[in-house]
Amino acid sequence: MHSDPTDLIHRAQQGDRTAFEALYRAHAGRVYALCLRLTADRALAEERTQDAFVRAWERLATFRGESAFSSWLHRLTVNEVLLRRRAERRREQRVLTSDDPAALERPGAADASSGSALDLERAVAALPAGAREVFVLHDVEGYRHEEIAELTGIAVGTSKAQLFRARRLLREALNR
Amino acid sequence: MTGPHMETKLNEYVDGTLAARERATVEAHLVDCAGCRAAIVELRALVTAAGALPKSIAPERDLWSAIDARIAQRATYNVHRAFWRGALAAAAVLVIVLSLNRLLPPSTAPYRPAGQGWAAVQADFDRTTSELGLIFAAERERLRPETVVLLERNLAIIDAAMAESRAALARDPASVELRGLFAAAARQKVELLRWVVRVAAS
Repeated sequence: MHSDPTDLIHRAQQGDRTAFEALYRAHAGRVYALCLRLTADRALAEERTQDAFVRAWERLATFRGESAFSSWLHRLTVNEVLLRRRAERRREQRVLTSDDPAALERPGAADASSGSALDLERAVAALPAGAREVFVLHDVEGYRHEEIAELTGIAVGTSKAQLFRARRLLREALNR
Repeated sequence: MTGPHMETKLNEYVDGTLAARERATVEAHLVDCAGCRAAIVELRALVTAAGALPKSIAPERDLWSAIDARIAQRATYNVHRAFWRGALAAAAVLVIVLSLNRLLPPSTAPYRPAGQGWAAVQADFDRTTSELGLIFAAERERLRPETVVLLERNLAIIDAAMAESRAALARDPASVELRGLFAAAARQKVELLRWVVRVAAS
């Protein structure tokens, strides 16, 4: 199997599922981490990771190489997670819980994190959904407030307010 | 630290987004305020720790088989969908062609007295183009962005021509020439939308 990312993308765009699987293997961890932090729910994160890759497969033809494939995929993932959450919120069938920090205590995460990082992961998972999303996108993923506003449909001022609220709640949680 | 205003300023100070003057004001405040200095230290530590969190976490189970199954299922669904969309488009075109024939001059279509059936024909046309338009809206993401821009520009030109024909026909409903103009623009629109449906489904 070729490992050249450009070749893999090109082959996947032609419908080669083996090439797309290789892309999945290369990016699954990054996409799953994003989904896990945005949802704070392990089962939901697995679901959203699948949704994101299925969506990526459907939209591969629109990837023109103007940005890195990983950036394109991450943006698509954020869109997918937020879109689904908005739809679920509208249906009012599911209340997202923020009490599943255990999702972030699996061996994979713990191995890569120090004790304080794990505390931070738990505290982030316990944030209210809106504050958590903005914190993850801004402080963990490095998105700007303007990009977050575009992705989430909130105003730039609201994005800032949610970030500062998240940081206050996190400082309180970590100081306990 | 006191109040939400100061909290905002301290966060913006840490993010480096304050204007020089405001930054100087905050720095002057920090000299005398131990609480805000401590808050700055905590905020910086938090932002640094967040940025240093692992960017990759392996899922506990392999998700590929489920993704692959969904992709395969989607491919089958797309074949069926393409067939039905094609059938729907063909049906829509048939309705429009039959409707438009009623508007054509006597030499090319059975003659109808002035104005007869005109409202029904327009309603037929509006409904069918609306259905094709919905397909276009649903499938536009499958097309290249520049193709979408070009399509939208052409559709706008055709719509403008049809709006002019409609307005003129409202003033002169018996005009065979105006009916012909409307029919020509309508055919163009149908052809364009048929092409979209065909390309998007392929």
